[in-house]
Order: sequence, then C-alpha cells, then structure tokens
Amino acid sequence: MSGRGPEAADAAEQGAEDVAVAHDYLAKVMGEIDEEVVRRRRSGDLPLRVERELDELFLRYSPMAGPDGSLEEALGVVEASSFIDPVVPVDSSKPGGALVKQSIRRASLWYMGWVVHQINQFATATSRTLRVLDDRVRALQVEFDAQRVRAAPVLETQWAHGPGAWWVDRVLESLAGQPGRILHAAAGDGWLVRRMAAADLDAYGVDPREARIDRAEVEGLDVREEPVLDHLRAVAPEGLGGLVLTGVVDGMTAAERDAVVELAGHTVASSGRLIIHSLSELGWRSDDAPLEADLASGRPLRSRTWATLLGQAGFDVDVIDGPDALDYLVIAVSDRGREDARSTR
Amino acid sequence: MKVVFVTPRYGPEIMGGAESASRLLAEHLAAEPGFEVAAYSTCALDDRAWENDLAPGETDMNGVTLTRFPVARERPKEFFGFDGKLRRSPRHVTWDQSTHWLDLNGPDVPELIDALRHGVADVAVFSPYLFLSTVAGIRSARMPTVLHPAAHDEPALYFPAIGDAFARSDALCYYTAAERRLVQRIYPVAEKAQIVLGIGLGDPVEGGRRGGDLLGLGDRPYLICVGRVDDRKGSAMLDTFFRRYKEHRPGPLALALVGRVRSTIEAHPDIVVTGEVDEPTKWDLLRDATAAVSPSAMESFSLAIMEAWEQAVPVVVNARCEATRDHCAHSGGGLWFGSYRQFEVVIDRLNADAELRRRLGASGRAYAQEHYQWPALTARYARFLESVVERGASARV
Repeated sequence: MSGRGPEAADAAEQGAEDVAVAHDYLAKVMGEIDEEVVRRRRSGDLPLRVERELDELFLRYSPMAGPDGSLEEALGVVEASSFIDPVVPVDSSKPGGALVKQSIRRASLWYMGWVVHQINQFATATSRTLRVLDDRVRALQVEFDAQRVRAAPVLETQWAHGPGAWWVDRVLESLAGQPGRILHAAAGDGWLVRRMAAADLDAYGVDPREARIDRAEVEGLDVREEPVLDHLRAVAPEGLGGLVLTGVVDGMTAAERDAVVELAGHTVASSGRLIIHSLSELGWRSDDAPLEADLASGRPLRSRTWATLLGQAGFDVDVIDGPDALDYLVIAVSDRGREDARSTR
Repeated sequence: MKVVFVTPRYGPEIMGGAESASRLLAEHLAAEPGFEVAAYSTCALDDRAWENDLAPGETDMNGVTLTRFPVARERPKEFFGFDGKLRRSPRHVTWDQSTHWLDLNGPDVPELIDALRHGVADVAVFSPYLFLSTVAGIRSARMPTVLHPAAHDEPALYFPAIGDAFARSDALCYYTAAERRLVQRIYPVAEKAQIVLGIGLGDPVEGGRRGGDLLGLGDRPYLICVGRVDDRKGSAMLDTFFRRYKEHRPGPLALALVGRVRSTIEAHPDIVVTGEVDEPTKWDLLRDATAAVSPSAMESFSLAIMEAWEQAVPVVVNARCEATRDHCAHSGGGLWFGSYRQFEVVIDRLNADAELRRRLGASGRAYAQEHYQWPALTARYARFLESVVERGASARV
C-alpha cells in the first residue's frame, strides 16, 4: 500500500511528465543560446575590448563562486586589483583644493612610491604564483577528464524495485521499532518512505533524479534531490537509525562502494541497520535489466563480498537471496556498541 | 497546536528579509484551523543599535499574539571592530571568540529567553540564524525547535557558536535547495528533519491599467526589474548591459526599473525608473512585461521572480545566483546569463519569440503556484510542524 489513490498517482505521473517536458525544452533553448553566443563571438561584431569590459562588469557584481565560478575568472579579478597606483587623484570641488592636494602628493610621492612599489611586487608575485597553480590544475583536469568514470546511476528494474518486491516486508520487519531517522536511497517518488512512515518509522529519502522526487516534496514527504554519497557526507556521526540502499550500489565503482562502507560505518548509530538491496550477476544480465546497467562503471558484487566488507567495517551481517537468485538483500547491524565496549575493557 | 515564532524584530515596519518572511508565515499559519500562533520579539526596530523603540508587552497583530521583550543593552561599538577582525579568517574563529561575537551582536533579551524556557508552545520557530536571540533561544527552549536559517555564504555562518545552533535545532527550514546545499557543506545536519519551503506568494492585486501606459511607454514592449535599484543588486550592471544592447538594437524595447532607488541611473530614452510603486501598479507592470530580469547574484529566494511567474511572465536571471538559477532550472520558467553576450542573445530570443515566452511563462506559473502559493505553502508547513512536534525534542544534542 502506498497510501495514495489511483487519481493522485495519475496526477503525480502527469506532473512528473510536464516537468520533464519543461526541462527538455529549457535545455534545448539554453543549448541554442550557447551556440549563438559562440557564433556571434566568432563573427567579431563586438570589439574584444568592449566585450571584456562588459564581462568584467558582470564579474564585479557577481560572486566568483557559484555554479559557474571558475579559477580563471577569480584570477582575472586578482590580477586586475594587484596594481596599486601611488599617484592619487587631485581633483577638488573646493577652490585651491586641487593645488593643496597636488602639493601633498608631490611631497609624499617618494615615500608612497617606495611603499607601493614593494606592495606591487608582492601582489604581482602572488598573482603569478596563482597563475602557475592554475596551469597545473588545468593540466591535471585534462588528465582527470580522460580517466573520468561516470557516477553510478540509479538502476531499477520493474520486478525488483517497487512496492510489490519480495524484500520490502523483510526490510520493514528488520527495521520495526528502530529508533532514529531511517534514510532510503534512491527514494524515487517516496513509496518506501511512505511505507516506513506508516510503520511508525521516522523515515526520509534522497534521490538524485529530480523529476522523481518533485511530486513527493509537494505532498510534504521529506524526500530530497541529492546523490546518496553527497548526503551521507553531510550526516552527523551516528545520525541515522537505519540506512536502506536500493538501486544504488549495483553499478558503483570500487571507490564509491568503499565510500558507502566507510560512510555507513560513520553515520549508522550503534545497533542501527544498514540494508542493501542489489541485483545478482544473473539479475544484472537478465533481458529486462535497465539500459544503464550496460553503461555503468561498476558491476554488482556477490552477496558474500558485501558480507565480508561490512563485517570488516564492524557490522553483523545476514544475507537473504531473492527468488531465482536474481537479487539479494544484505541486512547489517552496526556492532559499534560492542566494539566500543570491547575497546574500553 | 501552539507555535511560537522568534525573531529579533517583528512588525510591518520591518521590510523584506527573513523577519518579514517569518511574520507573513506566522500570520498565514494563524489562519489555519487548529493552530494557535504567537510571536516573541524585541522592542527594537533598528538591528544596528537594538534601541527599545517600541513598548514592551502583549498585543494581537493579524491573528498572531505578539509579545515584545525589552533589549537589555544596546549593541556596543566594540562589535564592529571585533566583527571586522573575525571576518578576515572566519573558519579559524574559536568557540570563545564566536560566543563573544554573538554577545556583542545581540540582541540580548533575557526575558524572551526565560519565556522560551518556561513556555507552553508545542514548537518554537527561529529566524534568522545569526543573532543571539536565535542561538540562545534554541539552547534554552524546552519545546522542539525549528531553525529557518536564511543563510548566505558569509563569515558568521562559519563561526562555531552558530554551528552549535544548527546542531541543537530539531529541524530546519530552508528558502531554497541552494541554501540547504550551502549549510550542508559546512555542518553535518543532513539527517535532521527539514523542508525547503520558500516564501509565500499572494494572489495578484491588479489595478486594471496597462503596464505600458503606467510607464509612459504606450504599446512599446518592455523588460521589468522589480526590487531595490542598487548596485549590490546588479542594477548598475543591468543598466550598462541594456544601454549597450540598445546601441545596436534601436527597436522599441524598453527597460523598467521598479523599486526603491539607492543608486543613480542616468536618464535614457529607453529606461524608466519608477521608484517605489503600490501593489496594484506592480502587478499591472509585471503582467504586461515581455520578461522580468533579476540581475542580482545575491538572492536567497527572490519573491520578485515568483511574482513574475504568477503573471505567466518569463524571467531572466544571473547565472551566478544559485537560488534563482535553481528556480529556473527546476521550473523551466526562465533563462540565465553569465556574460554580456549571453544577455544579448537571451533578450533577442525572448523579444522575438512569443511561443518561447508563452512556454516559459506557463512553466514558471505552474511551478510558482504549486510550490509557493500561500495555501499550498502553509499546508506543507503545517504538515512539517506536525511531524516535528510528533518527533519531539529527542534529537536535541
């Protein structure tokens, strides 16, 4: 039971479709705009100097960070402000004021010039150093891009992910009465969060797919658009009573899996539950596995490998195989309480 | 349910910002069945001095029982020098330094803190994050607490005593997902109950006049920028960009700057500066605009773009502003510019393509109405508060 009627589900589906259409349209228009920008720049219809001045004006009123902030632009601002002019302006609205200022300037210029010369030297050396660093970072970026692996996508199949899946009741049984917040990732439209909440669990969810979670947010569910690893990095130590991962670990790289184990060990409270649902190799190779399975950087682990990894991280682990060995469920209980007790003896 | 809102200042005299947003939310929540809403605040109107300008005591304000408490001491001049010192290296500020900074920043309202300590409300809501009344209030409140941080990436956000308030609050309420990302980059609070609520949007109150007539532009199309005309809000940049744009495109398109004027804008035949206008005039101007421009990179929410979307008008935002760009990306209701060239092409496209304007405006309107219209927003917030109360203050560190 998802707790919503068919009409609400239809409306949610329609709403998600409308949002997806609007996103596609916006992406197409912004793509065309970017192409046109490139074309006009090539045409040379605006003098380069003028364009640079206008862009510097934009930067002056916009922070260097933000989604499009770049080191190159930040360096531009540093370089533009790294020269200090000791020859101060002498204009004045008062009669004789300019003459007085001119005299003061003339008298103090030797002193100001000496100090400013040293400051300018320091500022120039600093901006040159930053420029060298920028070159190094660019070179590293090129190498990194050549080896970049895609972040693991959320991989869901019709038969293994959803309210009717065999493992859902097992998850709810395992979490029954569990104190603390229970996180589900990837939460999708919040169907498992709803089930957990109905079972008196303090559940919430994250999912990187915005179109999936938008409706859930509007309905007032605590479901957020975030990749699970980013989210776990911002959770307080032992902040979770339980962590349920479904459709998340299957296509992960080795480094991402290591991060999951480490972050789960850090964020799941003593006696808390870490529950992982994964496809098996057989399920992964099945005809109805999603297209993303072929494109993912990683492949599912065997269940006993998870058992070993989580055992080493201080969890007591049980594995339950699904029907026809197409998938499996790992239920791990944080053993930290006992570990702490042992270490203090 | 009994809810108490705690803000350093309260009342219609406080324009814009987190305190104004809290007051409006309190008033709308008070109209919901089953909610009894109170507000605790100070007698101060000026947050630089914290002088007791208003009388202490209890009064009713638009359905909210407001109690004003006197500020025990005005802000000492020492604050500004000390603040300047800590700003230089905010990530290295010590606990003692940050608590001293908070004491100086104020407002110091012992009776308000005492009222929270002995209060009977089911939940206490605090905003914004950077004042002593918020940090000490969260520490003292016996009931579950919700913090509306209204956080910007500014030095005080990194101070340890501020981090303590985030850690101690039972739940968090953000204006935007961008604000949540900022807070979570600094503090491990992701598992706390939270909601991205935004700011409520009222129904348009139109005056029934044509926007072009109000501006003296007749039938000419115009871009509109609603908000303070201030260099810090990007007004000077927009002014320069538009002048440049018009040098090469001498068509009828004009620009209307609508709001209190803090920066000088030189006269130009295609630029109209209205100053402050009343609500019906603002809505009339918005309704007939070709597009609404938000050039500011420093917005934490931007009610102005929501109001443009309410009128199905597409928006153009600064690509560097995470909050407004997120709104555009999520709604599909607006375009953004990160350079003059991009500004030029975006305005060309919007000016020439009625279908583009219609589609963007419709998407923006759907988004604004679904997420930020008062009834929908108040209902979401009421459900959120109920869940916070149900959970209790058990999450308190």
